[in-house]
Amino acid sequence: MPTTTWTHRLPYPALCRGDVGLLDAWIGGRQRGSVRICMLFIVLGCGAYGFTVGLWRGWEMAGYVAIKLPAAILGTLLVNGLLNGMLGLALGSGIGFRQSLQFLLSGFAIMSITLGALSPVTFFLAFNTPPPTDPAARDWHSLTLLAHTATIAMAGIISHRKLLGFVRTHAESRAAGTRTFFAWLAGNLFVGAQVSWILRPFFGSPGLEVQFLRPHPLEGSFYDSVLRAAINLITF
Amino acid sequence: MTDEPNKPLPPEIPAPAPPSHPRPEPGPPAGYEAMEGGFAPANILNKLLRKPLSLIHTLETSDEGAKLPVRLLLIAVASLAIFGLVVGSFSAGTQLWAAPLKIIGGFLFSALICLPSLYIFTCLGGLDAKFRTVGGLLCCMVALTSLLLVGFAPVVWLFSVSSNSIGFMGFLLVALWILCAGFGLTLVFRAGRTLGMQGSGHLVIWCFVFLLVTLQMPTTLRPVIGKSDQFLNLEEKRFFLQYWSEQITGEIDRAPVKEGTDGDELYD
Repeated sequence: MPTTTWTHRLPYPALCRGDVGLLDAWIGGRQRGSVRICMLFIVLGCGAYGFTVGLWRGWEMAGYVAIKLPAAILGTLLVNGLLNGMLGLALGSGIGFRQSLQFLLSGFAIMSITLGALSPVTFFLAFNTPPPTDPAARDWHSLTLLAHTATIAMAGIISHRKLLGFVRTHAESRAAGTRTFFAWLAGNLFVGAQVSWILRPFFGSPGLEVQFLRPHPLEGSFYDSVLRAAINLITF
Repeated sequence: MTDEPNKPLPPEIPAPAPPSHPRPEPGPPAGYEAMEGGFAPANILNKLLRKPLSLIHTLETSDEGAKLPVRLLLIAVASLAIFGLVVGSFSAGTQLWAAPLKIIGGFLFSALICLPSLYIFTCLGGLDAKFRTVGGLLCCMVALTSLLLVGFAPVVWLFSVSSNSIGFMGFLLVALWILCAGFGLTLVFRAGRTLGMQGSGHLVIWCFVFLLVTLQMPTTLRPVIGKSDQFLNLEEKRFFLQYWSEQITGEIDRAPVKEGTDGDELYD
C-alpha cells in the first residue's frame, strides 16, 4: 500500500484509506494527539449515529443513545485496556500497552467514521418509520433493530478488516499479528456485550418507558439473559 | 573412436540475449483526459454522455473544476423538471407542478444525504481524492441519471396518456429509475477505478444504500403520481414496500369485474 502524506488536521480520509504512514506515525509516537483524535472521531461518529438509533422513541431517547453508544465503545476499551496490552505481548506480536490502545482506537475510529457518515441515511430511516403508537409498532421495532444491527455489523467488519491489516503489518510476524487480533476481538466482544447490557436500552422497546438506564443496571448479565432465553426456547 | 587424449570442450558461447522490449507504462484509462471545449452546458452534456471520465479529470486536476458541479446540477434540475412534467401529466392538475418539484427536491436531497457516506466509502476503498472531486462525481452521476430519464420521457408520456393504472405507472417509473440509476452508478465505479480505488466492495454497499434512499423518497413525498388533497403527507409514515403493496392491493380491489368477457373486446 503506497504511503501518502495526509494534509487534514483531522486525518479521517487517510485513516479510512489505511494509510500506512499515518499509522506508523501514530504507533511510533511521532505524531502527537493521536489518541485524542481517535476518541474525538468515536464520540462524534458514534454520537451522531446513536442519535438516529434512539430517534424512533423520541428526542429524549435520541440524546441518551448519542451519549451511550460512544460510552459503550470507550468503556469496553477501558475495561480491556490492560488485558489487550498483555495479550499483545504474550502472543508474540511485540505490540505493547500504548500501541495496542492506539491500534484499537484506530479501528473503532474507522467504524465510528463509517457510522457517522451513514447517520444522515439512518436519520431518514427513523423519519420514515411508523411511530411507536402504530398498531404494528412491535414489527417496526424489530425491523429497526435488525437494520441498525446490520449497519453496525457492516461497519464493524469493514473497520476490523482494516485493523487486521494494520496489526499484521506492525507485528513481529504475520501469524503473531493474526493471533493477537483475534484475541483482542474475542475479549472486546465478550466485554462489549456486557458493557452494552449495562448501558441498555439503545433501541427502546415500544411499551417500555424511555429511560437513560434500566433499573438496577448492574444486576444480571447479557450472558444470563441469553442462557435464560435459550432454556425457554428449548423447554417451549 | 580415437586414442587422442580428451580435449577440453570449448567454452560455450552464450546465445545472444533477445532484444529487450520493456513493457510500456500503462497509460491512463481511456477517456480520462483533459476536457476540451470549455464549460458551456452543451459541451458538458456532450462530454457527460460520450466521455464522462474527462469531467472527472477536470474535477480532480483543474483549478476551474469547481465550476463543473454547479453546471452539472443545473443540467440535472432542468432534466428532472422535464421528466417530472411528463410524470405529472398522468394525473394533470396540481401534479403538473407538484410532481417536478418533488422529483427534483427528492432526488437532490437523496444525493445530499448519501454524499458523506460516498466520500467515506471511497476512502475505505483506498481512493485518495479531494472531497470536491467526490462531490463532483456525485453531481456527474445525478446529471447522467437525470439526462437518461429525459430520454425515457416520451415512453412515460405514451403510457401516461394511455393507461389509468397507478400501479402500472408506478412500476414503470421504478423500473426506469433503476435502469437509469444503474448507468449513473456504473460511472461511479469507473471513476473510482480510474482514480485509483483498490476495492469496489464498499461502493457496492453504498449503491445499495443510495438505491434504498431513492426508492423510499417518493413514498415520503407522496403522492408523486395520482391525486391527493394534500401536497405532502409527512404525518402518516410508510415504508415504500408497504405503501406499494397497499396501492397494488387497493387497485385490485377497486378494479371493476366485467362478466362474460373472454378478452375478445381488447382489440375491438
